[in-house]
Amino acid sequence: MTLDSFIRCRGLTREYRRGPEAIRPIDQLDLDVPAGEFLALMGPSGSGKSTLLHLLAGVDRPTAGRVEIGGVAVNELSRHRLAAWRARNVGFIFQLYHLVPSLTAFENVELPLLLAPLSRRERRARVEAALEAVGLSDRMRHFPRELSGGQEQRVAIARAIVHDPPLLLADEPTGDLDRRSATAILDLLRSLGRRGRTIVLVTHDPRAAEVADRVLHLDKGRLLEAPA
Amino acid sequence: MISLIRPLRLAGLAFRQLVRHRLRSGLTVAGVAAALFLFVVVASLQRALDRATRRTADDATLVVYRQNRFCPATSRLPVRYLDEIRAIPGVREVIPVQIVVNNCGASLDIVTFRGVPPDQLTRYAPEIAVVEGSIEAWQRMDDGALVGELLAGRRRLRAGDAFDAAGVRVRVAGILRSPHPQDNQIAYVHLPFLQQASRRGLGEVTQFNVRVADSALLDTVARAIDERFRSEAEPTQTHPEKAFFSEAARELMAWIGLAGWLSLAAAAAVFGLVANAIVLSTRARTLEYAVLETLGYPAGALGYLVAVEGALLGTLGGLFGAGTAAAYLSWRRLLFGNDGQTLALTADPAAVLQGLAVAAALGLLAAAWPAWRSAHRPVVEGLKS
Repeated sequence: MTLDSFIRCRGLTREYRRGPEAIRPIDQLDLDVPAGEFLALMGPSGSGKSTLLHLLAGVDRPTAGRVEIGGVAVNELSRHRLAAWRARNVGFIFQLYHLVPSLTAFENVELPLLLAPLSRRERRARVEAALEAVGLSDRMRHFPRELSGGQEQRVAIARAIVHDPPLLLADEPTGDLDRRSATAILDLLRSLGRRGRTIVLVTHDPRAAEVADRVLHLDKGRLLEAPA
Repeated sequence: MISLIRPLRLAGLAFRQLVRHRLRSGLTVAGVAAALFLFVVVASLQRALDRATRRTADDATLVVYRQNRFCPATSRLPVRYLDEIRAIPGVREVIPVQIVVNNCGASLDIVTFRGVPPDQLTRYAPEIAVVEGSIEAWQRMDDGALVGELLAGRRRLRAGDAFDAAGVRVRVAGILRSPHPQDNQIAYVHLPFLQQASRRGLGEVTQFNVRVADSALLDTVARAIDERFRSEAEPTQTHPEKAFFSEAARELMAWIGLAGWLSLAAAAAVFGLVANAIVLSTRARTLEYAVLETLGYPAGALGYLVAVEGALLGTLGGLFGAGTAAAYLSWRRLLFGNDGQTLALTADPAAVLQGLAVAAALGLLAAAWPAWRSAHRPVVEGLKS
């Protein structure tokens, strides 16, 4: 355990009730991630990887335990404050990209910036820079249906980094891509990790885990290796 | 403090969503527009009726009719009453009027001739302005007609044209404009000409129009007139002009009262259409809203996006519907008529604005529940949908 952990979870538990049965996808989990680390969380389906990511992002609430990110007790924030906190601190990458189909690549990437006090010119500059960073400057006016899966995921990554958040959470970002596209996405994540962002990547693909600084394995809601 | 920039940006996003879902938005807007067309037409009609029947402090006209006979075909009064009415204290001016209409029942295409002594019209109604042709030309032409501008517009009449209605053929000597709505919907002709053309006796008229010296005297003078002719063979019944309209056009008013329910139905249709569109849309976009919240959009912003979509659908449909209604009414210039009383159905700006406000408010109201649902659904539930 380190005092300067960027992410700090203690006794983190998430329990659902399905009839009389209690299900714990996350069970008494402790985790420390220093700032700037690229952490890969691996585990089989149902091991609690995505639930942990949702708890870190504050889109789900723990039944017990504590999540601190950058010194903020995320589990104690109201829904409204959580959204404001995410808008400044978190970029989220989904397995199925989840772009808004009726918006162009540019407009999708611009979405997080609509909440920020930025002028139209500033927003444009940031969106163009983000799309440039993912190699899609020439696809700005394309709608998601006009892009390949790999390109859609790159747009989603641009959307996740456009507001320059210190934390990137990626939920199986290569899970729906062919090998070549997956490699390109992993290279991109690795280059983003080198720029000082803290990245938590959830995956069950060992190749994806290779790009991380550290790999932890989850099973039945518990970490199989001791936190670093 | 909430800045205005964010709501405006989000409203822009909501508008973009509507534009990008053209079929869904187009069908909803078309439905709302159809309902608003009906709403504005009925509201215009109701406001026209209100103007025609609501008594104001400026009202100074009485209509003297044959007692219990409110159809021009049955009301007959001797012309000799003229001097006796003029002598009653409080009467400023009086004019005998022969009414001939092409349709005595309820109709949408009424032509009303008012036969008046040609040398007395300007004295009785100095407020009348002739906007085309001249009053002198009318006074010189035995079969001349001074046509109200609404009637002229509907029949596309210009000075010099001839037209016929109710078996009476006249030449247009001028087009008039008057502050009194009824004047703009009829044609003034010479009294003797109309009496002959309609095969009425020269000694009989349909009614007398009386201007009193002070509107406060309306009821006093009306009672004095009826009292004066109570024992005559042709007793009179005198009402202020607007009350007379209410009395004579009862069927028309009943129709319009019934049409009020159509307004409610139209409003319900707007609500139903927008609510249906928004409910289906938000159901289909549950995941999208969850993603937006994951990106940092507060739940309130999601509700706001949904509400703005509803308000925009209502407003756009309202603009198309109210605009189409205004254009249609301006083009058709319909005249509702009943027993010789006419009601011009023109596009009423207040009715158009009322329609727009109703459409926007109903759109917003219809989106309220889906907006609340979108703002309160757990994010994880949305992400798994």
